[in-house]
Order: sequence, then structure tokens, then C-alpha cells
Amino acid sequence: MGLLQNIIFGVITGSYIAIAAIGFNLIYGIVNMINFAYGEYLTLGAFIGLFAATALPIPLPVAVLVAMAGGGLVSIVLARAFFTPINQTGPVPLLLTSIGLGIALRNAIRLVAGREARYYDTETTTFRFDAVPDLSVGSVDLLGGFFVTSKQLIVVASAVAVFVAIYGLLTRTDVGIAMRAMGDDESLARVRGIDTQLIRDSVWVLAGILAGLSGVLLAIQTNVSATTGFSQILQILSAAILGGAGSPYGAIVGAYLIGIVLALSTAFLPSGMSGLSSAIAFGILILVLLVKPSGIAGAEVREA
Amino acid sequence: MSLLDIDDLDAGYGDIKVLSGIHLHVEDGEYVTVVGPNGAGKSTVMKAIVGIASCLSGTVTFRGTDIAGMAPEEIVHEGIGYVPQSNNVFPTLTVEENLRIGAYVLETVPEERKQAVYDRFPVLADRTDEKAGSLSGGQQQMLAMGCALMLDPDVLLLDEPSAGLAPDLVGDMFDRIDTINDAGTTVLMVEQNAKEALRRCDRGYVLANGENRYEDDGDALLNDEEVRQQFLGG
Repeated sequence: MGLLQNIIFGVITGSYIAIAAIGFNLIYGIVNMINFAYGEYLTLGAFIGLFAATALPIPLPVAVLVAMAGGGLVSIVLARAFFTPINQTGPVPLLLTSIGLGIALRNAIRLVAGREARYYDTETTTFRFDAVPDLSVGSVDLLGGFFVTSKQLIVVASAVAVFVAIYGLLTRTDVGIAMRAMGDDESLARVRGIDTQLIRDSVWVLAGILAGLSGVLLAIQTNVSATTGFSQILQILSAAILGGAGSPYGAIVGAYLIGIVLALSTAFLPSGMSGLSSAIAFGILILVLLVKPSGIAGAEVREA
Repeated sequence: MSLLDIDDLDAGYGDIKVLSGIHLHVEDGEYVTVVGPNGAGKSTVMKAIVGIASCLSGTVTFRGTDIAGMAPEEIVHEGIGYVPQSNNVFPTLTVEENLRIGAYVLETVPEERKQAVYDRFPVLADRTDEKAGSLSGGQQQMLAMGCALMLDPDVLLLDEPSAGLAPDLVGDMFDRIDTINDAGTTVLMVEQNAKEALRRCDRGYVLANGENRYEDDGDALLNDEEVRQQFLGG
């Protein structure tokens, strides 16, 4: 496989990481907490979608919408139950609570759904582009034939749709602008009459919807098990921090960088070292943060 | 009845009392300033009115309603426009978006008021799509005032509007406040620049250690020997 094919794999991985990382960064930037249980929201979304598509059953696109709605509901209920009551205690208690909640959710899912992986029943069409010529440099083929599947195109298209929708929300609607205002300065937001709890709740719902979508897309690509979301949380967190803590647009850049680095290191490292691919992704994270601590798109921290 | 009447107010942050027994009133159309040394509690008076500082006892009556203890997001509906001293704009929002948030509690953004803000501060009209954080200190101060004016408030509270401005811009800022007051908006201002503030205002209060010390017409305070000695540097 050539470089081109692996970059395509990276873009696909980056797409569902990006959707989740936007949600993660909205929570980080506006509610001001790192939500380590966020991976479990992906898992729950994927299971809700699976249940809707197989047990009910309803068509897959509708099941995806059900998963998104379910993710939003899960997110707001958990936030109201566990995070809102301790909102004033600061980021560290919130982070620790989310780690504990994540462990509890993961094991609860395992108890209910079992250990084995489940699969969405989908059909997929593969589009092959074998006519692309090879362009070898040393042992690496820069171009070469490649393929994409219809599922992969759906993942990328969904991500693009999410980017457009989030941009529209954050720049064109009152609630979106109020979210950004709150991320800037919560005290000033209250002075301007913004109901901060309402905005926080909106962020939780929105982040849950994004987690649900990301989880379903991930599960359609591969499968869903109790650890589906948890296995992604470090990538999501890295993408979010790499792009710029709290910045939804930075999260997109960070996600594609992480996705492509993961794909390339898996493909081109010697076979004995392929387990190091995540280590390389995090190495890049550390390097970027050393050069620019606020991340690629992050604003400088404002003096209080 | 006064537009704003503060009676025997104790206020502070959490359990820490900063103000004790403050009396202050503002009449419709007036221009009132509060001066005093650093740490006198001037800004806390403002924050107590808008609900950021906690009122421990006493009353803050605005148009006949006791607003002491109400939350900031409720008080903004009462017709009080507040311009904090620093961090008074949202830096990652554009000028236009800041003004839109200024009118957040209204059903729709009042276009004619927004235009009035741009007419009053033309430098903002040239930068509608720029991030507020990229504006100069003086421009940010104008934007913050513009945000407060979006609600056409009954009273405009200004917390140290000259703070952080280059010296040659200070006179210009006070001129703009005069214009706003002349157009009929009641102004209550806290200022470090005591002489200039007292020269401009109708009435003034001198605060020290969280208590009322002097209260009179601006000119009278300026010419008062004791006030000059203690608070205006002779």
C-alpha cells in the first residue's frame, strides 16, 4: 500500500476523532472540565444505535439519529447527576469524578452487554482506483492504487457536515455565541444576562450528540464493545489538546494530525514496532506543546 | 423617589466585608461619581449593585425594587448597564458579536441602537469583524460601553473608565461620557482620576475604608480643603 492509501486511512480515523474531539473541547472550553468519561459516551451512543438498528429494527440512518439523541440525553443526565452539583469545586474534582464515572460506566456496559464485540449489519461498496501510477521514493510508494469504501465516505461526509453545522451554530446563533462568550469569561457572561446553567446544559447535550455520532461511525467501521470509546479517549484528548485546549476548530486540525500520524506509523514502522504508533502520536503532542503550550489554534491564556 | 438608592449597605465577597453602612443615591439624569483611594471599596459598590459582590445587609433600591441579593443575570433585565473595569469585552468574539451579546436579554438585536453605538464610536464601525481582543485598550473600553448601551439602560455604571488608557486618551473618554450623560442617560461612575471625575460630574461621593466620608456637588468637593488634603493630593 502506498502513502496515499495510508493518508486516506488517517483521514477516516481523523474524521471520527474530530467529531468527538469537538465535543470534548466544547466541554473543556465552556464547562471548564476535562471529561475522562467522554469515551464511554461514544460507547453508549454506539450501543444505542446498534439496539435501534437491530432490535427495533429501524433503518440505519434513523438509528444514527437515535444514537445522537441518546448520546445527548445520556450526557445531560450524567452531567446533572454528577458534574453540575460539584461545578463550583474546580477542575480537579471534576476530572477525578469523570475518571470514576468512566470506570463505573465501562463496567456497567460490560455487565449488560457482555465482553464480545458486536457488529452493525451494513452493506458496503468498495471503490477501487487501481489506475493511479506508483511514485516510488526509496521503499515508499507516494501514490499507488487505493480504495475507499462507502462506509468510509459516510464517515468523512458526516464529519464535514458536523464542521459546517458547528461553525454555523457558534457564529450565527445566540446560543452558540453565548457559548463562546462563556468560554471567554463566565462572570462577564452573567453580567450580560446569559443564563450560564442553561448554556452549560446546552453544551452537555451538544457534546453528547457528537459523542453518539462519533461512536456509531466508529462502530460501523469496526465494531462495538464495552471498551470501544475508552480505547479512543487518549486519541480524542490528544487531538483536543494538540489543536488547542477549548478550541473546537483546533480540535479538527488536531484530530486529522493524530489520525494521519497513527495511520502512517502503523504502516511504515517495522512490524515489531507497530505497537509504538500511539507513542509516536503522543510524542508529537508533547513536541507541539513544548513549542506552543496553548496548542495549534489555542489562544494565549488571559490574565484574570 | 431616587432612581437608585443604596441604604446602609454592607457588602463584600463571601464572608469578607468590604463595605459597611454605605449610603448613596442617584437621581434620574444625574452624573454621579465615587472617588477614593485604592482599596476604598469603590468597585465593590458597583459590583454590589449588579449582583457580583454579595450584599450582606441593607438595601439597594432601583426604581422602587430592592435588587440586593439578586443574581447578575436577573439584574441586567432591570435596566442597569454595567461596564466593568477590566476584562469587559469577550476577546475571542468579534466587535459585532460582542454588541449582539450586549443585547442578549432582548428578543432581537435593536439595529438602530447598534447603529447609534457605531455612530458614537466610529472606530468600532471600521472593525466590526475583528476580534475584540485585538482592539486597543481605548477601543475595548468603547466597545464595553457600547455593549452596555445596547440595552438603552436607565443608568450606566462605569467602573474606572480611564484605567489602562494612554494619558492623551483620558480626556477624550471623559468627553464621551459627558456626551452620553447629555443625551439623557444617568451615569454612576467610579474613578481613580478623582480631580477630573469631580470636575465633570454633578455630585460626588468620597469613600475610604469601605465607608462614606464626604458627599457634595463635584465642584464643592474639589474646593473642600479637607478633601483636597486627604484625597486629592493637596
